[in-house]
Amino acid sequence: MKPAPFDYYAPDTLSDVVALLQRLENDDIDAKVLAGGQSLLPMLSLRVARPEALVDLRKLADLNYIREEGDTLAIGAMTTKSAVEDSPLVQRRQPLLHAATRLVGHRQIRNRGSFGGSFTQADPASEYPAAAIALDMELKVVGPDGERRVAAQDFFITYMTTDLDTTEVLTEIRVPALPAGTGWSFQEIARRHGDFAMAGVAVTLRVENGVCRAPRIVAFGVGATALRLPEAEQVVDGKALDSALFQEAGHAGAAALEEPSSDVHASADYRRQLVAVLVARGLAEAVARSAA
Amino acid sequence: MTTRHQISVTVNGVNYQREVDARLTLADFVRHDLSLGGTHVGCEHGVCGACTILVNGASMRSCLMLAVQADGAELTTVEGLSRNGELHPVQQAFIDRHGLQCGFCTPGFLISTAELLQGNPNPSDDEIADALGGHLCRCTGYQSILESVQLAAQMMREGTIVDAASPAEA
Amino acid sequence: MTTDMNNSLYELPTESPRFVGQQVRRIEDPALVSGSVEFIDNVTLPGMLHAAILRCPHPHARIVSIDTTAARQLPGVVAVLTGEDVKRWCNPVVTAPEGWGAYCLAVDKARFVGEPVMAIAATDRYIAEDACELVEVEYEVLPAVPDAPAAIAADSPLLFENQNSNVMLQRVYDWGEVEPLFERADHIVRETFRWNRVGANPMETFGCISQWNLADNSLTCRGSYQTPSFMVLGRSASLNLPSNKVRIIAHPHGGSFGGKGGPRGTDISALLSRKAGGRPVKYIEDRAEYLLAGGGQSWDRYYEAALAVMADGTVTGLKVKLLDDQGAGAEGYGTISVAKPLAAFTGPYRIQAAQYDLTVVATNRAPTFAYRGYGPPPHNLVLETLMDSAARELGIDSAEIRRRNYIQPEQFPYTIPSGNEYDSGNYPEVLARALQMADYEALRAQQQTARDEGRYLGIGVVSTVEPGVFDWNAYRTAGVQGVGVPEGARVNFDMLGQVTVTVGFALEGQGQYTVAAQVVADYFGLEMDAVRVVCASSDAAPPHFGPGGSRVGVALTGAVLGACHKIAEKFRRVGAVLLQCEPDDLELAGGAVRMRERPEAQLGLADLAGTMLARSDLLPPDMDPHPGATHVWTPPGRTEPDEQGRCKSYLTAANATHVVLVEVDPDTGVTEILKYVIVDDCGTRLNPANVEGQVQGGVAQGVGAALLEQYVYTEDGQPLVSTFADYLMPTLHEVPITQKGAVVTPSPFTPLGAKGCGEGSIHITPAAVICAINDALQPLGVKVRETPASPSRIWNLIREAGT
Repeated sequence: MKPAPFDYYAPDTLSDVVALLQRLENDDIDAKVLAGGQSLLPMLSLRVARPEALVDLRKLADLNYIREEGDTLAIGAMTTKSAVEDSPLVQRRQPLLHAATRLVGHRQIRNRGSFGGSFTQADPASEYPAAAIALDMELKVVGPDGERRVAAQDFFITYMTTDLDTTEVLTEIRVPALPAGTGWSFQEIARRHGDFAMAGVAVTLRVENGVCRAPRIVAFGVGATALRLPEAEQVVDGKALDSALFQEAGHAGAAALEEPSSDVHASADYRRQLVAVLVARGLAEAVARSAA
Repeated sequence: MTTRHQISVTVNGVNYQREVDARLTLADFVRHDLSLGGTHVGCEHGVCGACTILVNGASMRSCLMLAVQADGAELTTVEGLSRNGELHPVQQAFIDRHGLQCGFCTPGFLISTAELLQGNPNPSDDEIADALGGHLCRCTGYQSILESVQLAAQMMREGTIVDAASPAEA
Repeated sequence: MTTDMNNSLYELPTESPRFVGQQVRRIEDPALVSGSVEFIDNVTLPGMLHAAILRCPHPHARIVSIDTTAARQLPGVVAVLTGEDVKRWCNPVVTAPEGWGAYCLAVDKARFVGEPVMAIAATDRYIAEDACELVEVEYEVLPAVPDAPAAIAADSPLLFENQNSNVMLQRVYDWGEVEPLFERADHIVRETFRWNRVGANPMETFGCISQWNLADNSLTCRGSYQTPSFMVLGRSASLNLPSNKVRIIAHPHGGSFGGKGGPRGTDISALLSRKAGGRPVKYIEDRAEYLLAGGGQSWDRYYEAALAVMADGTVTGLKVKLLDDQGAGAEGYGTISVAKPLAAFTGPYRIQAAQYDLTVVATNRAPTFAYRGYGPPPHNLVLETLMDSAARELGIDSAEIRRRNYIQPEQFPYTIPSGNEYDSGNYPEVLARALQMADYEALRAQQQTARDEGRYLGIGVVSTVEPGVFDWNAYRTAGVQGVGVPEGARVNFDMLGQVTVTVGFALEGQGQYTVAAQVVADYFGLEMDAVRVVCASSDAAPPHFGPGGSRVGVALTGAVLGACHKIAEKFRRVGAVLLQCEPDDLELAGGAVRMRERPEAQLGLADLAGTMLARSDLLPPDMDPHPGATHVWTPPGRTEPDEQGRCKSYLTAANATHVVLVEVDPDTGVTEILKYVIVDDCGTRLNPANVEGQVQGGVAQGVGAALLEQYVYTEDGQPLVSTFADYLMPTLHEVPITQKGAVVTPSPFTPLGAKGCGEGSIHITPAAVICAINDALQPLGVKVRETPASPSRIWNLIREAGT
């Protein structure tokens, strides 16, 4: 189980990276960007991924930061997941992101894995795409034509596929502040602690005068991308809090899933059931956490 | 086909300069190029944790890194835990509490435990599980590992070797 | 008839041992925690090459052609091996029953996904794998036999054309008058079960370095071998070499649990070495190879079973019908795993008669091998679930129905219907202790309270017997030719009084070297660090079998004690010369030989050994000057099977009761283990920490089998498990922290009274966990009848019952 041959580059600057990616593309060389490598390395060793060239971002130290910019948290793409996990700023300002981070793999993976890598990897069973959509994150991308920003909702196209062009690099993830009093929940069910989820949900909402406001419900592990469940949101939006209603929302969300994935660990029907259950539980937990 | 790269790494305090293939994993580099065989390889796809080493002080899976990515890094492997022939308290605690059987996964557990106790001298059972949950052991059933970590924490807090398994006290 | 045994040879010459029975530190551990142990992949030999194996992607396919031209031209490639070479040089592997084996590389056709098709030796493993990708194999895909029911279908394709059928073994064992008991029974409880494949998965996969000496046509193989002498016989047969020309050097290995495979990898690397002019060839099986085709799959079974029960809860008869999928042939001796349940067929119960209707078939799944326990875990799940079903039907508590049916302490030695003799035990006491530790009544109350709240708690109370110290003879009933299970130890003093114990098996984790050192140290009054234990190569080691069938702790104790006894006799004879008295005037005590009547007249062991080795001129010319001895221990009183397979097979019968509390979430099917209590009786505990380690490790594997692990195959016979993301072994999060207690009923048949204890926990844990889950699910009217009890499987059961 050894990787097939490839060329390796570790440019010193972001512009060098972009220029190199352009050159490789012009030369018709299949290149992959390497950040933490915690998803890519197993694929290389299993020879499932066989890029001709790897472009390593490890020298881009200036993409390693967590900082406040007004109400927004700006996180450099090369920041490690454990740095995000350990950040008091993240814990205080974005507890949902903190909770989601703790569910990504294991500590040894988070010590190496980059924050941005999970966004570009776009594994539909991973936690960050769901957290990104739930928290309405914005992604900063740099390419030959300069910088652009993409809403998380538009970034994840389908299974392992993003809006990123082969010559572009994800540089920063921006997490806007949640309105005061927002309740949240991040739940998943995996075969084992640390495994990819069979299904999971991220929920945010506010409670005003006993009524649910601005619910945002995102499911993951059940389709080609993490996806919002507007059918579930509509059931509770503007309604008085009621556990029967949460269950109804779960069923509405589950019923709206087009074709949940099916594998050795979970059938499509079972995944649908998990979404129904987790939406209901997530709503209840988010309500409990909200400052009503 | 595959580029070759000059790298410089410091492992257990010793600097090594080597030329490596781009595709050489860090685990293979440490084990075979540097002959530090205490880092074991159990799955080569990042699940079992046997190959865990410290990279700049943080536990990572050496099968999930390329050797070339470690250029300039400081590594600690299980061979680097003991000092001047004295076992690290974590190593001693695993012996005292029978925290190993075949010992193949053990270097990975020791490395992650050393990292945990460095930052958290009095971890709860949940914190231990969180730090070590990414390590597979097929022999012990983990209970004695959990007890070993607790003992190691106690030894390190008290700065003593706790004589826990001598026949006289058993 | 009971077993006679002369135990005087096997006693310690002290009433108060300092080490035996104590929780001493393991002598194995300082090297292991330092990372300095020589596991096979740490070894490099001069000129060594690295092998990679190309494997078949189809369940069943004829090999039309293999083109290795491009591979041979890749720089770094030194040798290429195909089925044509193998056909010329080798024999198909010996199997039980005979004629169900393949060559080390597929010859003409491949029978499972992952079967080796060709192999390459190159200057490094990366290049060897590159070269394999350049090989072009043309396959003609054949219809596959995806599972056991398909194997016995009328129009099933054949795996082995010479056999005219896929059925390897079919017979019905009748032990006693089963039918009349079922006719007279007040209740008959029936169940069906599907036990899906699980397997060993030691953290180290198989690895070896083979070197063919072209000068004298001999072979040396270093590797992670569990049973070196057995490997010698197998390689001799498959490679056409005299058995004394095959030398196995066993290295310490990272776990084994029976499932370490190795025959094919060894033969392939040996033949590559032969083709490479005698250069050593290393083959390290990687995890994907292990999961796909290594010796790591076991127990693929379909059961129908019934229990005859009287109104008072007395269980009188047991019928078990088993359809067992061995996979693509019998190369892994998986047939033993269907025969082993004979050694404890009726568990800890006084069941009068039993029937075992056995069909063993070949399919296009990977061949099955040994795995810790070697067969009883599924059987015990069947028996214990039937006991719970009977309890439920009669309205008896699940602990109570077991208590009513136990073999009683005064009935030992006790011969069960399937022929084995249990040595000793106290099953009611073990149960009582377990219930007390678990506070069973409180658990039942907690369960009731939870049910009232709409929560589903369940309690499993399960008891099993672990046959220990196995004997090959038992397996003649499954077609296995006995090769014996000697266990030898050579104990030598050097002239400074230091001791080396030489055995024939390598470290693999159970701590047996420590046990040997404990025994020697106590025997001679030494410190443990005066004793070193080493493994000799197969040609230099005393006769041995090594770990397997929960036997080495007992067998090695016997071997070491026997050798120590012989040395003590020599020391007394030498001492008598030096002290000018009779040997019988002398005794071994306190690290010296001294006169019984005048203890101050004594000679230290170093003095005695030193005299023997350096000053034999002081001794009579006919006196043996060797301060050492070899002793080979075999289990006493074992018998060969009669026409119904009945024999005294296993020397000891350990016993355990597990009490488990689980909660099942009916909405998600997720099971959580809330409490786990274990009481076991494995006789004398030579090193209690070792015993507890074996017990807890077996719990982990049992929990894995019950809840997580499965080698999944598609309906077409394609395996879906090739990584650790698919094969889910439990982590620190999933394995329960258990409360453990012990009852000690020493075995009357073994040295120091110890019983085999390496497998009991995996024998019982799957049953305990599944019984607890079924207890939880009872109000929902569903029952788990297939392993693992994964969340989706449980949820499906609940859903189907609800509609």
